[in-house]
Amino acid sequence: MTNSIGEIRNADFLFVIGSNTSEAHPIIAMEMKRAVRRGATMVVADPRKIWMSTIAEKYLQLKPGCDVWLLNAMAHVICEEGLVDETFVAENTEGFEAVRETVKRYSPEAAEEHTGISAEDIRWVARKYATTEKAGIYYTLGITEHTHGTDNVYALANLVLMTGHLGKPSSGMNPLRGQNNVQGANDAGATPIFLPGYQRVDDPEVHARYEEAWGTNIPAEPGLNLNVMMKEVGKSIKGLFVMGEDVVLSEPNCMELEKGMNAAEFVVVQDAFLNETCRFADVVFPASVFAEKEGVFTNSERRVQRVRKAVEPPGEAREDWRILIDLANASGADWSFDSASDVYDELVRDADKFSGISHARLDATVELPKTGLQWPCPTPDHPGTTFLHEEGILRGKGLFQAVDYRPPAELPDEIYGLLLSTGRTLYHYNCATQTRRESGLDAKQSEAWVEIHPRDAKKRGIEDRDMVEISTRRGSVQVRALYSRQVQPRCIWMPLHFFEARANVITNDAGDPVTDTAEYKVCAAEVRKIEAGEAREGLYPGTFYGIDAPV
Amino acid sequence: MIERSEPDLPKRAPKSIELDGRKMPFQAGETILEVAQRAGVEIPTLCHDPRLEPAGACRTCLVEVEGQRRLLPACKTPAQDGAEVRTETERVDRHRKTLFALYLTDHPQDLEVAERGAPNQLLEMAARYEAPKDWGFMESLRDNRDADRNPYIHFNADTCISCARCTRYCEEVEGVSAISLAGRGAETTIATADNLSLLDTTCEMCGGCVDVCPTGAMGEKLPLTREAKPERELTKVRSTCNFCGVGCQLDLNVDPDANEGRGAVVKVTSPPAGTTTNDGNLCVKGRFAYDFIHHDERITSPLIRNDAGELIPTSWENALSVAAAGLHGVSERHGPNGLGFVSSSRCTMEENYLVQKLSRAVFKTNNIHQCAAT
Repeated sequence: MTNSIGEIRNADFLFVIGSNTSEAHPIIAMEMKRAVRRGATMVVADPRKIWMSTIAEKYLQLKPGCDVWLLNAMAHVICEEGLVDETFVAENTEGFEAVRETVKRYSPEAAEEHTGISAEDIRWVARKYATTEKAGIYYTLGITEHTHGTDNVYALANLVLMTGHLGKPSSGMNPLRGQNNVQGANDAGATPIFLPGYQRVDDPEVHARYEEAWGTNIPAEPGLNLNVMMKEVGKSIKGLFVMGEDVVLSEPNCMELEKGMNAAEFVVVQDAFLNETCRFADVVFPASVFAEKEGVFTNSERRVQRVRKAVEPPGEAREDWRILIDLANASGADWSFDSASDVYDELVRDADKFSGISHARLDATVELPKTGLQWPCPTPDHPGTTFLHEEGILRGKGLFQAVDYRPPAELPDEIYGLLLSTGRTLYHYNCATQTRRESGLDAKQSEAWVEIHPRDAKKRGIEDRDMVEISTRRGSVQVRALYSRQVQPRCIWMPLHFFEARANVITNDAGDPVTDTAEYKVCAAEVRKIEAGEAREGLYPGTFYGIDAPV
Repeated sequence: MIERSEPDLPKRAPKSIELDGRKMPFQAGETILEVAQRAGVEIPTLCHDPRLEPAGACRTCLVEVEGQRRLLPACKTPAQDGAEVRTETERVDRHRKTLFALYLTDHPQDLEVAERGAPNQLLEMAARYEAPKDWGFMESLRDNRDADRNPYIHFNADTCISCARCTRYCEEVEGVSAISLAGRGAETTIATADNLSLLDTTCEMCGGCVDVCPTGAMGEKLPLTREAKPERELTKVRSTCNFCGVGCQLDLNVDPDANEGRGAVVKVTSPPAGTTTNDGNLCVKGRFAYDFIHHDERITSPLIRNDAGELIPTSWENALSVAAAGLHGVSERHGPNGLGFVSSSRCTMEENYLVQKLSRAVFKTNNIHQCAAT
């Protein structure tokens, strides 16, 4: 996020695209609701009619995968109607002319045919966005989980740059992070390209500095990113260490991964529960949950906050950081850290974005406006950074990237006539290792389901709450069908949380060319009725009624 | 509603009120209560919450303003230049004693009952202001919703004081209006449409109603059914929620003696409004999904796969040496890039740092990525 969560309530225009905010980020949704209550205009763009659309001034129900059409058409309007912030563009950016040329081809009228959103609405949203001072964009995986996810992000960034909506409070580009510590995991260097603090491993200066700091040689060639690594398991990857992740549940096209896992020679899993991946493990380390350890999480707004130990882990389970130190030392290293705080100090010593932060300093700042610290925070007396790009764009000049529409990797055809998207719900979390062990949440959502438009269901002889089989080219799963008008005709949607109906058996693992993030949001699927028992009592899928009510 | 965004025109000398004889400047739109809170002057309130629009419902914050015939609610009265406000007079004190005494006439004073949900602020205030407790007692006439089968939130009508914090939170903050005031007079209660279970309403189980309730009438079911210790006997540990990327601050309420001294998280509460990024709000997962911590399916010892293909318990020493030898073996046979390391965006920053250091410095490969990358 270039802005902070606390700035949302003061925004005057919120463009929410590809984010089911009230279910995936409920507390950020509360801030948005507060802004709307205050009089802000909210526009929601999402193929599925989510709760947030009910309080939006405009709801754009675009066809899945057509984001570039919508965003380029908005840019088209902004250029055509002279709404570009020419001063900002001239002083702070480069590459605008290419974008101006490209978006000429994306008239709102043409976009209407592709996206299903009226040209009039596209013009209205573009004007409103360009002419509102405090206008923020909020997006999540609905934008990124496509084979053109990077293009989607560029198209959004183009809108931000051409209107100068950057470097100001409540005005910026805000990807909402999905997990408690995605930001922190990346910050800490858990990526194949970057050492801690986004320092490239193949930069000779960085590489030499880390070799000296760690007193050992380290490889300079970037490694494989996750999607590629998972496809290589059993092939070039013969040994796997997995901490705190159920890869066979959450990676796309996971039956292929299972084959690879069987062919792997050695697998170590470190987790608090025996997850599905443990079926392939040679060694399992009993790990701890957040309430049992010290450390920090870094949230969406780059805020580093403390995690504190409240209880002891059960049995012989240990804190993850202790296990990692033990494993390193058993493997021939000589690490001596006495505490998580020691580890953190070493981390920030060589990564100056965070150098001003320490456990001690975080513990001294427990109340607003100073709960935790937002990086960049380079020195111990630096107050942290609320919003980015305030004193000019960080990389020097904001770089426009002209992008063209590319269709998703797989679209419905004669055999697989429906378009499947997957996503999260309010009541469960990812692999649901934690939330499905919570009796109350199961009372609300006890089994997997697929939302299907009544028209499509009836064509296939499917009644509301029938058991159905969803198949794609990669496999099939069995779930409960629910009549829903949240989804568009010819689109279906299912949650990813349920191990007995693993959405990722059927999702497409085709990746974005830059990030290799898989296309979880679009693939071709077909649904047929199967014989099975009654729906369980606790199945309350939608967060609101009226729209998803059975016909 | 008090308009807070209107500029204060025309600009003159800073405006101030006289609060108990002390001159306190204020900004346009501030209420007497807000000025007093800033000044550290205590005015009791039950229905006030900084996240909500002032309601003036509970009448506990009445103060004396010079020139006004009646006492005025501090939470709803805008500060006016030159106003002389008195918060501790004989008249205000008499009002408080009377009011609390009246509240107590249909409010249980037995802590076992009155503190079923959470600390009971009404009883605390009644004691602090020495309200008489002997003005008679009548059974509460409010409707309970005992049959509500929702898993998390119970409504204890006996301790409800109809301050409407819960219903206002449900409407103004969470925006779902699942609960509302119903009935009249002494029968006023907190109801759902058609008395449905919360499960069948628009409720998203955020538990904000539980958090804002001053008397614990809206309470958490699970600590009750599990007979956990009352909240005042628990230790609060401030931490960061482990679900989504918002980074809400929460207080783990720990019973340190449970689980043979290892401690147990028996409840999660949110820090006060205005003190953290989440402004005192939590969602259903942050507030209620903590059962996994002490779940009996937790792995409690290291496991290795035996010749029969089963995972069997082993010692830490053995597990670590088998793991180290296994990973090194792959590296020797296939080169360092025959290994892959997957770390977790659910784990701490320190742990992610250690995994990438393990991968790079010990096993000499950059095949390391955190799980959220795809």
